[in-house]
Amino acid sequence: MQLIDGSKIITEACVRAGADVYVGYPITPSNWFYAYAQKRFPLFLAGPDEISVLQWMAGFSAAGRLPVTATSFPGLALMVESLNMAHMMELPMLIIVTQRLGPSTGSATTGAQGDLLLLRGAISGGYQIPVFCPSSFEDCWNLAYEAVKTAVNYRTPVVLLTSKEMVMTYRSFDLSGLPEIKKVENAEPEVALPYQSYRAGADGVPPFIPLGDESYQVRLNASTHGRAGLIQKESPEAMANTRRLQDKLEGNISEFTFFELDEEDGAGQLIVSYGISADAARDALAGLRRQGKKVSLLIIKTLLPVPPAILSILERYEKQVFVEENLPGLLRELIYGQARRAHIRSVNKIGSMIAPSEIIKEFAV
Amino acid sequence: MTQPILVTKDMPFCPGCGHGVAVKNLAKALEEAGFRPLDVIIVSDIGCAGLVDPILATHTIHGLHGRAPALALGVSLGLSNPGKKVVAIQGDGGATIGLQHLLEAARRNVDMVLIVLNNLLYGMTGGQMSGLSTQAFKAEKHVDDDTPPFDIVRLAHEAGAAGSARISAPGEFKAYFQEALATPGFSLIEVACLCPSHGVKKLKELAEVIPGDLKLSRQRPPARASYRDTGPLFEKGGPLPAPYSSCIRERLGIVIAGSAGGGVQSVARLVANAGIRSGLHATMKGEYPITVGTGFSLAEVILSRNRIHYTGLEAPDVIVAVTEDGMAKARSRVKPNTALVLDSALRDAAFPDALYGNFHKEAGKQGAALAAAASWLIREGLLEREALLEAARGHQHGEALMEVIEKAAGMVRGLPV
Ligand code: SF4
Repeated sequence: MQLIDGSKIITEACVRAGADVYVGYPITPSNWFYAYAQKRFPLFLAGPDEISVLQWMAGFSAAGRLPVTATSFPGLALMVESLNMAHMMELPMLIIVTQRLGPSTGSATTGAQGDLLLLRGAISGGYQIPVFCPSSFEDCWNLAYEAVKTAVNYRTPVVLLTSKEMVMTYRSFDLSGLPEIKKVENAEPEVALPYQSYRAGADGVPPFIPLGDESYQVRLNASTHGRAGLIQKESPEAMANTRRLQDKLEGNISEFTFFELDEEDGAGQLIVSYGISADAARDALAGLRRQGKKVSLLIIKTLLPVPPAILSILERYEKQVFVEENLPGLLRELIYGQARRAHIRSVNKIGSMIAPSEIIKEFAV
Repeated sequence: MTQPILVTKDMPFCPGCGHGVAVKNLAKALEEAGFRPLDVIIVSDIGCAGLVDPILATHTIHGLHGRAPALALGVSLGLSNPGKKVVAIQGDGGATIGLQHLLEAARRNVDMVLIVLNNLLYGMTGGQMSGLSTQAFKAEKHVDDDTPPFDIVRLAHEAGAAGSARISAPGEFKAYFQEALATPGFSLIEVACLCPSHGVKKLKELAEVIPGDLKLSRQRPPARASYRDTGPLFEKGGPLPAPYSSCIRERLGIVIAGSAGGGVQSVARLVANAGIRSGLHATMKGEYPITVGTGFSLAEVILSRNRIHYTGLEAPDVIVAVTEDGMAKARSRVKPNTALVLDSALRDAAFPDALYGNFHKEAGKQGAALAAAASWLIREGLLEREALLEAARGHQHGEALMEVIEKAAGMVRGLPV
């Protein structure tokens, strides 16, 4: 066992997975990433603002590098247009978002889970980018790797959604149990000639060749474009390309569906949680079972696109309690919308972490 | 044989548009300098200037409005094959929307050419004035605004560009482009352009409304991206030895409260590490104002026989407070069963059962928090003194910490004096 923090584990995992450039603008509570990245990434650059950060990253990615940044809501807000660009250009990159209490500047040193629906709606048109959410130090390691892998394999920006309590709390942890991470290689692409930057294979993913290639002309484009990467307006080819952006991720979702399910035989009640609230849910589950209650626990780690596998687990439970550190219940809204359902309940809070006792209370009657 | 940079003579611009003249000259300059199409990466912005992609045989990347220089910076520093040239093209609208990017690329002297096609207005949206529209042009357009334009050539120069120039005579375009392409580092060329659809229609008229030509340079090495080899942040080695014992059975929650500069955060980590060396699980988190150099500093440590999931501390088992700032912050967290260990200076009738010690007097400002925490933990038999000493040993101020731990035993007075 040694005392370690989540920022360090994530940073190390990213580099081992092959991320080679960190572009950052410091922001609490993502500063530890910045500090670790300065030591660990092959190339570290300090951007002057978060718009520049994401643009530089897009440039690095387009040139064949694998860039990472870490930010928090105020920085993420500035990045949204560039995130759209990276999504449209299909550029691999990783954005770590450490949630903190909002709205607005809020409280920089207080954790929260308030940015899920911003990410859900970040891409104009409602397209989804993969959002992974670690709920333990094992997840910090494994999901950082999966995030890099998903970014490369599906040519897409990926968000690792964390919270202050996950990345700025030290815990005793046995690192020797972590699996080895192998560098994610961008497999030698099978290129159909003539090469076109957006001609996709059967999996919906166009082989990625970076700018500056000696043999193939590369054209990347943030505007509506056809297979060749040139602007086309509403041509069927361009619309098919835009539609592919959705199919590419939703069609391959089973390849990056991550969750933890602790199911109790005969349980009709399910606690649903993610990220920093998951630990309270784990403790609450143990407490409820000690009381003889039959309860299961689902911790969702692939938040977006919402995996069908998650939806089928939810369908099996009569009563569901969503536990998340925000007031409106963003995960619940993501899945069930704003309509009230008697059996879908929420434990919500802002300003401090939800305690196990607050979850247990929800099962008192 | 040189391969053509342009794939067509048909320009995507309105007839007579200055952008076409500039792009044709850029293509010629590239060809004459020996660049093959795939040696060149064109980064195009939004607006009329951004229509260039389809007429070029080069690599192309078409991004967002105003961001071309930032995107180009990433491309330039990210390329792994030498001998490539990054050329960003934007209009005057793009140059002001992303002025920061232009200055940053110049400040770093990133190897690239930025061509700003300045037609003094926003062409694509109908001819509105831009931040580069001159007063003379605005007067001619009967626009009631005498705000002067940015001089991006001087701005880029001041920011550190290797080269920056403003040109207006089409006959000179090619030579200027060639010089920029040959300059290692950042070169900006602002090209005065006709916009027959919304702006100036004749070169003669253009000369009357634009600022004069200008050429500035600076000897500076270009930015280099050096990708280094780094070592791991931690080794995935096996568990630390845990030779010490502790009578903590389930979960012990400790709050340590002091002031900035009192070492509260490192004391908390030290206690957590001593716990790990005693076979316990531990968590530690800090709380302090954004201004870390002043005010309170508070830390929470949980020690537990079992793996700790939830790291919150609803009812601390003990609060150790050594300064007024710290106590003010921690006071609201005192629960009926919370033990209090306070510096004698904080004597408070509200807490008749608190334990006191002369921690500040005996261990100094920097040792007080450690002395208080260590003396209580040792006295209660929760951690062995050797476990604390062992945890201090690896610390950069290890010796000083160990000295405090050595004399801490017995500092806590059983009852208030
Ligand atoms: S609107 Fe003006 S700048 Fe745009 S293409 Fe036409 S002439 Fe050129």
